[in-house]
Amino acid sequence: ADWDMPTPYPDATFHTVNINQFADDIRNATDGGLNITVHSAGSLIKHGEIKNAVRGGQVQIGEFFLSLLANEDAAYGVDSQPFVATSYDDAKKLWDAQKPVITELLARQKLVPLYAVPWPPQGLYTNKEIATVDDLKGLKFRSYNAALEKFASLAGAAPTQVEVPDIPQAFSTGQVEAMITSPSTGANGKAWDYVSHYTPINAWVPKNIVVVNKAAFEALDEATRSAVLEAAAAAEARGWEMSMKETDVQTAVLKENGMSVVEPSAELLEGLMKIGEQMQAEWQDSASEQAKSIVADFAK
Amino acid sequence: MRKLLDGVYIGSGLLSAGLIAAICLLVTGQVLLNLITKFGPFDVNLTIPSYADFAGYMLAASSFLALAYTLTRGGHIRVTMLLNTVPARLRLVSEVACLALGAATAGFASYYMYLLTHESFEFGDMSSGIIAIPLYIPQSVVCAGLVILTGALIDLTVRTVRAGRPMLIQTSTE
Amino acid sequence: MSDLVAIFILFATLLVLLGAGVWVAFALMLTGALGMLLLSNAPIGPILATTLWGHSTSWALAALPMFILMGEILLRSRLSQDMFTGLSPWLRRLPGRLLHVNVFGCAIFAAVSGSSAATAATIGKMSVPELKERGYPTNMVLGTLAGSATLGLLIPPSIILIVYGVATEQSIARLFVAGILPGLMLVAMFSAYVIGYALLFPSRIPGDEEDMPLMDRIRASGRLVPVLLLIAGVIGSIYLGIASPTDAAAVGVVLSVVLAWANGSLSWAMLRDSLMGATVTSCMIAFILVGAAFLSVSMGFTGIPRHLAAWIAEMQLSPYALLAALTVLFVVLGCFLDGISVVVLTTSIIMPMILEAGIDPLWFGIYLVIVVEMSQITPPVGFNLFVIQGLTGFDILRVARAALPFFLLLLLAVALITVFPGIATYLPSLMGN
Ligand code: NA
Ligand code: NA
Repeated sequence: ADWDMPTPYPDATFHTVNINQFADDIRNATDGGLNITVHSAGSLIKHGEIKNAVRGGQVQIGEFFLSLLANEDAAYGVDSQPFVATSYDDAKKLWDAQKPVITELLARQKLVPLYAVPWPPQGLYTNKEIATVDDLKGLKFRSYNAALEKFASLAGAAPTQVEVPDIPQAFSTGQVEAMITSPSTGANGKAWDYVSHYTPINAWVPKNIVVVNKAAFEALDEATRSAVLEAAAAAEARGWEMSMKETDVQTAVLKENGMSVVEPSAELLEGLMKIGEQMQAEWQDSASEQAKSIVADFAK
Repeated sequence: MRKLLDGVYIGSGLLSAGLIAAICLLVTGQVLLNLITKFGPFDVNLTIPSYADFAGYMLAASSFLALAYTLTRGGHIRVTMLLNTVPARLRLVSEVACLALGAATAGFASYYMYLLTHESFEFGDMSSGIIAIPLYIPQSVVCAGLVILTGALIDLTVRTVRAGRPMLIQTSTE
Repeated sequence: MSDLVAIFILFATLLVLLGAGVWVAFALMLTGALGMLLLSNAPIGPILATTLWGHSTSWALAALPMFILMGEILLRSRLSQDMFTGLSPWLRRLPGRLLHVNVFGCAIFAAVSGSSAATAATIGKMSVPELKERGYPTNMVLGTLAGSATLGLLIPPSIILIVYGVATEQSIARLFVAGILPGLMLVAMFSAYVIGYALLFPSRIPGDEEDMPLMDRIRASGRLVPVLLLIAGVIGSIYLGIASPTDAAAVGVVLSVVLAWANGSLSWAMLRDSLMGATVTSCMIAFILVGAAFLSVSMGFTGIPRHLAAWIAEMQLSPYALLAALTVLFVVLGCFLDGISVVVLTTSIIMPMILEAGIDPLWFGIYLVIVVEMSQITPPVGFNLFVIQGLTGFDILRVARAALPFFLLLLLAVALITVFPGIATYLPSLMGN
């Protein structure tokens, strides 16, 4: 069979490197019986439409940023809740708790999750040193979803909406003064061109997920299906390793290019944790039962 | 019937124009808030949540709602250079064929846009921004715009055949 | 079916549909559907719906109707007329006179807008009626507008440089800076062409009014003040940090309304007419854009652009030969697909070739933009041609003929930056690593 696989991120991003390897593994394991063409960087289907395109059978398999679906069910967004899971160990534990719930939710959309790989832990980009939460007060803080907006407000910052392509210009002109993203995203976008300080606060560890259309998957013969699952398991293990390595490599890249990489002070972390707890309490009021069960399971 | 159809084309055109005005007002509102935040005396956080999402959806709605209005005013681009060199009889045949082909394509697009909207409603698809917007709402407007366009093309096909001459105004200078 | 046979069938289909007078957007959709039917098993209808929806909601696209509305208001408020009256005494001695307004007007507007369609629509709305009324030759009016509007892509901000920067992980800030000198070079080349034309055919440039004394000239220049305020306001709002490039379009609309009010030409009827005019023009452009997007997605499914690029990769060419081959590929693809699609569909194959050949990816981004600029003015699918047909009623083939010299100038610019890569890389090199 020939499958098309739209992915949102460019070729050099480690997620895409991993996916290309995944496609090669399947091609080799099936002797070309299943040939997956990877369409990277949103070149075939835009990021926001990938899930629905796989669901509708327009393409058979695809990748997207899992918490993009947080507005559909809070369960998809637990990995982007600030200061819930902040290390790879925690992230792994959270994914173990999240996976059965997500599998069930996606099954309703005729989708089967194959594997998920985390981004490096999210850090803080600013143009001055941030020693305490008070230093964030009044800063224009890039927020693109409800959780981030809440976070910015609780930190006393001004949530500001800036679309990805406008980020460099927005920093240069002061339209935005702080953002949270991974060291990969920062290094790939040459963040040192417009921002001076990076504080690895490890706010959360979000994931990309690879899903396959249920009907397309079931149309494969037994041997091919197990080849896909095997390659997926390998890709997940490889992806987590790549992500960990990426964290160190890209943080070093930020430093080499003249950015001040400042380890967060105990005071800052304590303040941020407090905000995280407050958010968690409010989140409990509105989240779905499934989402709450994930967090309860994780907290065990 | 004639009045009703023309009313629909103009009405959807006006609605589309209203949406463009609304985008301007929304974005201007955000710029004013930015101005106040930057230079104003108050220590406040002023943003219109998800304004870029709203602007994008209004843009899609506006673009599709104006399709029929733009068609009836000769606003959609086509190459007329070759057509102007052929005999009137052939010209008419070609005009009817273009209209019918357009109607078929627009009808096809309308049908699948309807399916997409329906699926989006069934599954509860949401926008991913600060405010969760059910996607079927803007998608329904896009679908409506395509349906009106299909209607306008069928209407024009019938009128052109009846009149025996092209009905659309030509914007071409040469 | 072999790729080459399929390409031939698709090109022929598109040409026949367009030649028969099928609306451009429908012709693109039908060609895309045929491509998928011939070379892919993907379901056409659902993918058409996904593309129509997904490509019509972009935030960056929201600037388009607003800039077009700004142009409509300026036209109806006599502000554009005033601008020409104010400029005319100053350009008296420059061969080609007011034709340079198209070149410089587009260059200035390009500093605000990232798209060449918006640039053509806004500047053309004002300049075409003025220049035609003053008796400038149609060919030059259309050609300078079509050619200069492509600067919208090269002079920052630029949508295409953002797309390239994101897809290849180049710094967007550096790409923007890299576009400045080549952009200015093109402005100079276009202007030089206008001067050359005017010197060769002095009788075709309409004579102007009497030479004015300096004081009168300055007095006449007073009419330029509103337009200067408008430009300063729009660019200023970006650099003050209160507006993103898309937001700035709304600032332009508001300022043009204020200026129209100040010169007494504002009325409800005028606003309504401007809004309805902008609705038609932006709907026309948006419809073709989604049609082009569908053809481009269809090409992604068929794999044709990928295969062509891979075919070039197999030839193992030297850097100069590689660039020559790619230029031919992009010019050919650019005739039938819109420029951004060409970049999106081929980067995955082309970037590894470029890096292997030792070509600087930053420089390559600028090269690519100039090549994409060419595709904006080559028939049958060239967005500047569509916009200008919409504005003037002149058929796209007629506009394309007028724009041919500017296509050749762009080709010359590609050669120049290839021989002197510093034109693109010098300014960004000042930014450090
Ligand atoms: Na520009
Ligand atoms: Na072209």
